[in-house]
Amino acid sequence: MHLASFIVRRLLQLIPTLLFILIVVFVLVRLLPGDPASAILGDRALDADVERINRELGLDRSLPVQFAVFAKSVATGNLGNSIHLKLPVAELIAARLPITILLTVMAALIAVLFAVPLAFVAALRRGRAADSVVRGAFQVGLSMPVFYLGLILLTVFGARLGWFPVGGYGDGFLDHLYHLFLPALTLALSLSAILMRNLRAAIIGVIDAEYVQFARAKGLRPRLILSRHVLRNALISTVALFGLSIGTLLGGAVITETVFAIPGAGRLMVDSIYGRDYPVVQGLTIALAVLVSLTFLLTDLVQAWLDPRVAR
Amino acid sequence: MKFLSAAALSAAILLGSHVSALALDRGGVMTYGRYTDSLFLDPVLNDANVDIWVMNNIYETLINPTDDGLGLQPGLATEWTLNETGDAVTLKLREGVKFSDGTPMTAEDVVWSLDRARNPENGIWNFLLASVDAVTSPDPQTIELKLKYPDPTILSALSVFNSAVMPKAAFEAMPGDTDKAKAEEFAKKPIGTGPFMLESWDRGATMKLVKNPNYWDQGEDGQPLPYLDGLTFEIIPDDATRILKLQSGDIEGAEFIPFARVAELKADPNINMELFPGTRVWDVIINVRPELDGKPNPLSDEKVRQAMNYAANKDALVQVVTYGVGTPLSSFMSSTTPMHSGDGPLFPYDLEKAKSLMAESGFPDGFKTSILTIAGNQDDLGITTALQQMWKEIGIDLEIRQVDNASRTEQYRNGTFEMRTGGWTNDIADASQITSYFAYSPTIDALHSGWKNEEVDKLFEASQKEMDTAKRAEQFARIQEIFNATGPTIPLYETPYPVALGKNVNGFIQIPLGNNIFRETWLAK
Repeated sequence: MHLASFIVRRLLQLIPTLLFILIVVFVLVRLLPGDPASAILGDRALDADVERINRELGLDRSLPVQFAVFAKSVATGNLGNSIHLKLPVAELIAARLPITILLTVMAALIAVLFAVPLAFVAALRRGRAADSVVRGAFQVGLSMPVFYLGLILLTVFGARLGWFPVGGYGDGFLDHLYHLFLPALTLALSLSAILMRNLRAAIIGVIDAEYVQFARAKGLRPRLILSRHVLRNALISTVALFGLSIGTLLGGAVITETVFAIPGAGRLMVDSIYGRDYPVVQGLTIALAVLVSLTFLLTDLVQAWLDPRVAR
Repeated sequence: MKFLSAAALSAAILLGSHVSALALDRGGVMTYGRYTDSLFLDPVLNDANVDIWVMNNIYETLINPTDDGLGLQPGLATEWTLNETGDAVTLKLREGVKFSDGTPMTAEDVVWSLDRARNPENGIWNFLLASVDAVTSPDPQTIELKLKYPDPTILSALSVFNSAVMPKAAFEAMPGDTDKAKAEEFAKKPIGTGPFMLESWDRGATMKLVKNPNYWDQGEDGQPLPYLDGLTFEIIPDDATRILKLQSGDIEGAEFIPFARVAELKADPNINMELFPGTRVWDVIINVRPELDGKPNPLSDEKVRQAMNYAANKDALVQVVTYGVGTPLSSFMSSTTPMHSGDGPLFPYDLEKAKSLMAESGFPDGFKTSILTIAGNQDDLGITTALQQMWKEIGIDLEIRQVDNASRTEQYRNGTFEMRTGGWTNDIADASQITSYFAYSPTIDALHSGWKNEEVDKLFEASQKEMDTAKRAEQFARIQEIFNATGPTIPLYETPYPVALGKNVNGFIQIPLGNNIFRETWLAK
């Protein structure tokens, strides 16, 4: 019951947040120098053509009028049409955002699979060789630029060894997973480094806590202590960090999608910003804002499950 | 005599059999890696090279540019005549041409397509057909264009993508009230007479074209073109990945190879590194308005600009930025443009001359100025950092301002920039387009530089009506002479189109106007 009202409260909070984002992105994208017509026509734009296109797009009207038109159409579920691609924005988002979500989810899973066991190894062998090796290796992962790491993985595991495709997205779900593995790994390495360090520190903090010493004194089996007491408590802060990192991961997807030639939302966003394709930038921002908000909600729910005090 | 002709005949037979012995292979799907996707496949309403450079594979024009980009050859029209006064064109349509959906191409389709292309309400290319007064079809195989005034560019204009022939009935059957709305629907599944037709298009990922079974032309083996069963464009924005995919055999071709990688790929035994002659020229554009931001503008001083030109070592720039792939410019238009004139490189490097010109100018102590470049563009950064060093020698302190393209365009159009980098490619095999933008002030103030020369403006206007080719060439020669000596640019170099192909790819060409032609491409098995 408690949880249900918590969720409802959080979903209601989402409404003003989205409205705020809507206004901010609407204004910001128009504050950028240049307009869609110039972006479309480039250097050769003639004044008459620019005026004609701006008129066709309704950009010759005042900002409040434009916003009213935009808000009205969003309220009816219509995100408008892409200026460059001449397609409905909703259609574009439906085609490309799931690719980015899949990539992000895969990256997050890989990151967790790396980070959790290794954090334990490092924490339990604190100060010894295993700890140094794990931390050193992850330091490299953390400091390597994503595009460079991506290219190395592509060259070695794609072109040289032929284990994975050299970029692209493939056909069919399993093929998509196969194509997304290297890019997801690229994204995952830096995230897992951050998670690992955080979790390692948290585990070390918990291991020395009195309730763990008490559990140990009671003679509980070490495995049980680790899973029931140490992991659960150590995870609280790491889960929060993980949730926050999803936003970063989505941002990192932009570069990864470019390097690996994946037709995801990140690339669409960048192209649309450069092209001043206002409707796409607006629609994608809203979609991403919803996505990130839902991730945060999910994070909070997991935290609440780990630590019931959070939901209060 | 008899013997000779017999010998000639047998030689011809030998040659002929040699050609067929060359055994081209049919079939297969070629995948070509592009740096970005097309946007809108409508010949009239598009506005980007990403569309223009591939549309010829789907739609065709009455006349085609030749492979060297300098001349014209038959397309959907087999012959044409321009009358002596230059104000009427008669074209004979090719017989038996069908659209990819199997319906025959009619004179009505041609008239409608040309009327749509020249409608001033439609798109940004209608200026190419501005001289056309009326398009009619006296009989089903003949098209007549009546012109408002003599137009020496009209035949070249009929070879430009926007005058491509589209099926009137299929287009008009599209949902929507306006031409634009119908075009947006039609372009999702375009129908043309070209060698390929669009099968599927996954935006930002792949565009799949398949052989048009109704294509009118035949290959060297006497069978219908194209040789390929299909052509897939795969979008691979990252240069390194695009090359990697070619090297690993995933794709058969890759466009826009960075200059830095050309030499390496030339040495790769599995790759054919092609440098197709282009019409691409690179310049620094200078704002020459007497005042900028309320202050006197040193760049308006002709001597200053000449000094900057002599101090800019183009050979060094060609080496540093294009890795030797480019060639210093001999005129503002590329050497592949018809009526290009000029033999030597413009302003060959001469630091002493530059220094003395600066000393004679109104700014002997130098000045501070700035240049706009595209953030993240390596070529731009290479050019401007080199110029920064070179111009320091003549007392010019150059600030490099990196902005995104739309911001740069805004400052450009407003005339508030000091200098910027710029590139250009021709859309039409004629000197008029580049001259109109670079030198003729009414179009866009000579590259928005504020430069104006009465003689150039008059000569250009005359050249647009001059039907005597030799006289017209003289007019363009004089325009080039004036602009090259006093114009608002630092002409840098011209570059070819670097395309890397798999060793099994034959018969592909990118013409100087940029069009990628897969009509006669085949994959060796």
